[in-house]
Amino acid sequence: MKKVLYILCILLLLPAFAVFAGSAEKQKKAPEVKEEATPAPAVEAKRELRVTFSWPTYIDPSVGSDFSSSSSFVNLYDSLVYPTPSGAAKPSVATKWESSPDGMVWTFYLRKGVKFHNGDELTAEDVAFSMDRLVTIGEGYGYLFAGRVKRSEVVDPYTVRFHMATPYGPFLTTVVRLYLLNKDEVLAHVKSDGTYGEFGDYGKAWLLTHDAGSGPYKVKDMRLEEYLLMERFDDYWGEFKPNAPDEVKYIGTTEPVTIRTMMARQELEISDQWQTVEALESLDAIEGVDIVTMYLGTMFYYMMHTKKPPTDDVHFRKAMAWAIDYGTVLNNLFPGSRMAVGPVAPGFPGHNPNLTKYTRNLDKAKQELKLSKYYKDLENNPVEVHWIAEVPDEEKVALLFMSNMADIGIKVNIVKTPWMSVVEEMGNIDMSPNIVTVFVAPHFAEAGSLLDSRYHSKSANTWEQNEWLQDPVIDSMLEDAIATIDMDERFETYGKIQKKLDDLCPSINLFEQAQKHAYQASYIDWPAVYGDKIPVMGYDFDARFIQVYPEKKK
Amino acid sequence: MLRRLAHSIFVLLGLSVLVFFIARVMPGDPARMSLGPRAPETVVQKFREELHLDKPIYVQYYYWLKGALQGDFGMSLFTKRDVADDIREFFPATLELIVFTGIIMSVFGILLGVASARYANRWPDNVVRVFSYLGICTPAYVFGILFLLLFGYILNILPTIGRISPILNYPRLVTGFLTIDSLLAGDFRVFWDALKHLIMPGLALALGPMAQEARITRSSMTENLQRDFIALERSQAIPERRIMSRYLMRISIIPTVSVLGLDFASQLGWAFLVELIFNWPGLSRYGINVMLHKDLNAIVAVIMIIGLMFLVVNIIVDVIVGGLDPRIRLGAERSK
Repeated sequence: MKKVLYILCILLLLPAFAVFAGSAEKQKKAPEVKEEATPAPAVEAKRELRVTFSWPTYIDPSVGSDFSSSSSFVNLYDSLVYPTPSGAAKPSVATKWESSPDGMVWTFYLRKGVKFHNGDELTAEDVAFSMDRLVTIGEGYGYLFAGRVKRSEVVDPYTVRFHMATPYGPFLTTVVRLYLLNKDEVLAHVKSDGTYGEFGDYGKAWLLTHDAGSGPYKVKDMRLEEYLLMERFDDYWGEFKPNAPDEVKYIGTTEPVTIRTMMARQELEISDQWQTVEALESLDAIEGVDIVTMYLGTMFYYMMHTKKPPTDDVHFRKAMAWAIDYGTVLNNLFPGSRMAVGPVAPGFPGHNPNLTKYTRNLDKAKQELKLSKYYKDLENNPVEVHWIAEVPDEEKVALLFMSNMADIGIKVNIVKTPWMSVVEEMGNIDMSPNIVTVFVAPHFAEAGSLLDSRYHSKSANTWEQNEWLQDPVIDSMLEDAIATIDMDERFETYGKIQKKLDDLCPSINLFEQAQKHAYQASYIDWPAVYGDKIPVMGYDFDARFIQVYPEKKK
Repeated sequence: MLRRLAHSIFVLLGLSVLVFFIARVMPGDPARMSLGPRAPETVVQKFREELHLDKPIYVQYYYWLKGALQGDFGMSLFTKRDVADDIREFFPATLELIVFTGIIMSVFGILLGVASARYANRWPDNVVRVFSYLGICTPAYVFGILFLLLFGYILNILPTIGRISPILNYPRLVTGFLTIDSLLAGDFRVFWDALKHLIMPGLALALGPMAQEARITRSSMTENLQRDFIALERSQAIPERRIMSRYLMRISIIPTVSVLGLDFASQLGWAFLVELIFNWPGLSRYGINVMLHKDLNAIVAVIMIIGLMFLVVNIIVDVIVGGLDPRIRLGAERSK
């Protein structure tokens, strides 16, 4: 029996030996040199920026469009133009551009000497190829251009022209999402058994784990379930801040305990935006860690079915809008969120601030309800609210809504519904419930993005619209706005559309979502924390503008 | 053995039919989910045709089976590459983790059970009992979180995430087991580092089943201690140590081995929360992700792998048990 105990002790010691044998590595101050790299300087610590994201990440710019993918595009690739906080575009790879008076032809003049990561020069051929590839594949951000860009034309090596199918006013705003790939490199890696004819798989398999970009960073290692590791591209044509990171790592985890541990050990610089209120509080309590709040125009709506009783009555809808306790929602349930004024986020380019500012006012709610045809029969006209099961916090809002409606005599049934079922329901006018609660993000940095995707009839059977508005006047106004090339005129039309929607009240616009990140305030300098934020998803993670000071780490 | 293998094929076929059909009746359009809500309908329709989703379900199954028999499980809608490539990458990571877990739970589980039986109703037995109850009642992910906080944060002596430290390179992958491949490559640094990364997730997964095995071993040994042949051996002055190790343990660990096999195979499915906590790029976590994304091809492939694992492990357990107690093997042969 003593032998058994001896064996147990030895086995217990083995892992301890492994721990301490490895711990010896911590004594070294110099960074480890990989076999193929040249020896690093003995003293200077590596500047690395590590960020957690919700996975998966697709680094092919014709495939991905979620937050982590978009953030990777910003670092791996260039676009013709670069977004600004006001929503306007500034030169990037294109130094200037012009459109024909009717908006049917757009010409971009390219900067000379822009290098791809493999040393090739970026020319108009690559730009045309990138657009054709994006439209043909149709995934990711392809929807912004499919049906709008008829063809791409290479005028000369530094001039590219896009011929439009219809005038498209926001084209310059959307072209931010046209990321430029090296045509030769992509074609060198196509698989012939793909579905795109002569282009095979269009390089999709290769671009899962490689890049063909010209951006400030290039792929060093991509592990599909773990992380994306990018390293600085020293021949980049653009600006780098002096202490920009040498390496950027996107880590695919949102587990609160893991993130808290990594933050405390200074193994993580920025957290993802999916941390709960409680997790953010505990992160904030770590010395040197602060929380930054960003607004990217994502709105939280109670989408009301305008063709189904009792929400088919405008007074009934307005009564509900006046009865909600917005204060509790903003202060307790989603702290940091911004009160909505209309269907577009406040401050978003093209937002009309002169709309009804709903607050909890039971007198006004009752006045509106009395004008409703269902006033005398509320008991037999309950409202069914479907909230998304994958977002537990929505239940709290739904319960509050139920309680608030009871104050004015409206009966509410709340139903927890998985996202896949919600999408299916919203595809059918009869299956859609009275109200669905959904977060919707804009596609591009203009009010028209949300207005068009939310209220045009073509989106009536998609997850972005439960209202089934199908209003020909709104449709016509939206089509006019989108076709208007002049930005000021277009924004003016957006303002009129928002006013009309304000009168119709098809949605309860609860708030603009706050996106919160924990970050290492003690040793990173992140422009998103101060100054204007760019309302285009991913651009606040442009690593060349984030400065890292490893010497300030504890 | 041949009959067992033949039966296994039918079991796997039946499993594939069941999973295939269940996956397809789940709500949601996999093509739309994969391409995103804003992809044009024409693109989505083309994709549905490529996945044969526009065909009757039995035709879809035929296409799937035809591909699977050639090792082609189709494309993953989640990772956007071949499912076979995904399995090739993620399965060894989970297998390495559960092998490590299996070693811990079998060795320590049996040793603790033996110690507990030897010192029955004395303090070592009581300590093991308390530990067993804690282990059985506590889910693996709770242990994972506790270890992460204790060893990763407070003591800061073990790495928090992944299979290997960022400053090290992966060795040339032969088996997919970083520990073995690093030894084959002669890179001891990577070996120790990979071992360190295994400790927390491995322990988290092992503690529950280890406690269970300790209890089963203790119970079995205690029961067998009352048998006549033990009394006979004691009367013949055979040392107690020899009785325990040579005669008693052999028959007493049969139920433990049976349960060990089931626990080992189950880890392939249970490990996903631990893999999430430690950002372990394994098959279990991949399996949950593909289910949430209604990735039809990957769902069937993952469940088939788990099913195959159960079958293989059960066969191995039967062989081991037959070796431990020849009466079982002979009894089975006589009944044919």
